[in-house]
Amino acid sequence: MEKTPNDRNEVVIVGIGDLAVGRGVMSSIGLGSCVGLVIHDRERGVGGLAHVMLPDSGGRTKRPGKFADTAIEALVAGLIQQGCRKTQLVAKMVGGAAMFKTFSGNLNIGERNITAIKENLKQKNIPLKAECVGGSVGRTLTYYPSDGGKVVVKLADGKKNEI
Amino acid sequence: MDLSHTQRDALRELGNIGAAHAATTLSTMLMSNIEMDVPEIHLIDISKVYEHVGDELAALVLFQITGEVSGGGYVLLHIPKNSVIRLTNAMLGMTELDRDLTEMDESALLEIGNIMVSAFLDATASLLDVIMLPSPPTLIVDMPHAAFQTIITAQDTFDINEVVLFRTELKSDQHKITSNLFLLPNPPMLTDILEMLDKLLTP
Repeated sequence: MEKTPNDRNEVVIVGIGDLAVGRGVMSSIGLGSCVGLVIHDRERGVGGLAHVMLPDSGGRTKRPGKFADTAIEALVAGLIQQGCRKTQLVAKMVGGAAMFKTFSGNLNIGERNITAIKENLKQKNIPLKAECVGGSVGRTLTYYPSDGGKVVVKLADGKKNEI
Repeated sequence: MDLSHTQRDALRELGNIGAAHAATTLSTMLMSNIEMDVPEIHLIDISKVYEHVGDELAALVLFQITGEVSGGGYVLLHIPKNSVIRLTNAMLGMTELDRDLTEMDESALLEIGNIMVSAFLDATASLLDVIMLPSPPTLIVDMPHAAFQTIITAQDTFDINEVVLFRTELKSDQHKITSNLFLLPNPPMLTDILEMLDKLLTP
């Protein structure tokens, strides 16, 4: 399931519950309650992106990208496999919104995803360098590992900002 | 989860009848012909949802289905931004196209959504001989994928990695309006519907 974006201009789309590690451009479109989590190696211009859907795996090992705890675990493992040093890793995250005001579903799942990611990053001593989370808007994230780990966040109305 | 050929056909027919009723109401409101596509049924992995719904700005009217179907599900009316403006304009006799969405568009959307979705659910429910009721509508103007994702997550998705996506496109060529009607049944609701359809098809 793990994708490996190459150095070419091709953008790898990381869908819900998926993750990717590499040097090429990666994107997660239309993040609502899900969180796009980037772990970037400052030294080598390599990184990974996970499209986290739920805060806790409860011991599940399939689809590591789907849960906050397993996603961080898998991204770090993937980066170390690529020769990255753990001390060089930094994180950025985008998403975790509450899209519907009145909705009898899992209301605060976005918020719970954010909290879970923060806790798990802390445990692993990975600093959270930037975030664009919460609120009630959908976001599209594009991550450029070889361009200083730049993350561009686009909103539905087309407005973009860089974090 | 797997869907047989017969099950897909039965579901498509069910969607067809529902969407046809929704199309009729839209046609009456716009006083124009409405073209309707054959409903698509996709059984898709959650990681591929983005291949079916994108991040372009659109209005989404969401209804939760309650009534005599276990688990329930959701009906979503999806209308791209430009179509929303043309739709309100057509209903209210306005012409300005280059404008932002206003409260007027919002109330028009809620109204249209209510009428279309009620027609859709009434038709499918009476075919299945059950009662299905829509919740009051919720409107957002944002990225469709972000909305779908939130709805999918709100289901019990720990071990579920596939969703059933029902889509029917309704168009008015005269007014250049496109809309999509989506039905997202929760797994128990889908099982219920398939059982009911099975009974209908067994002589």
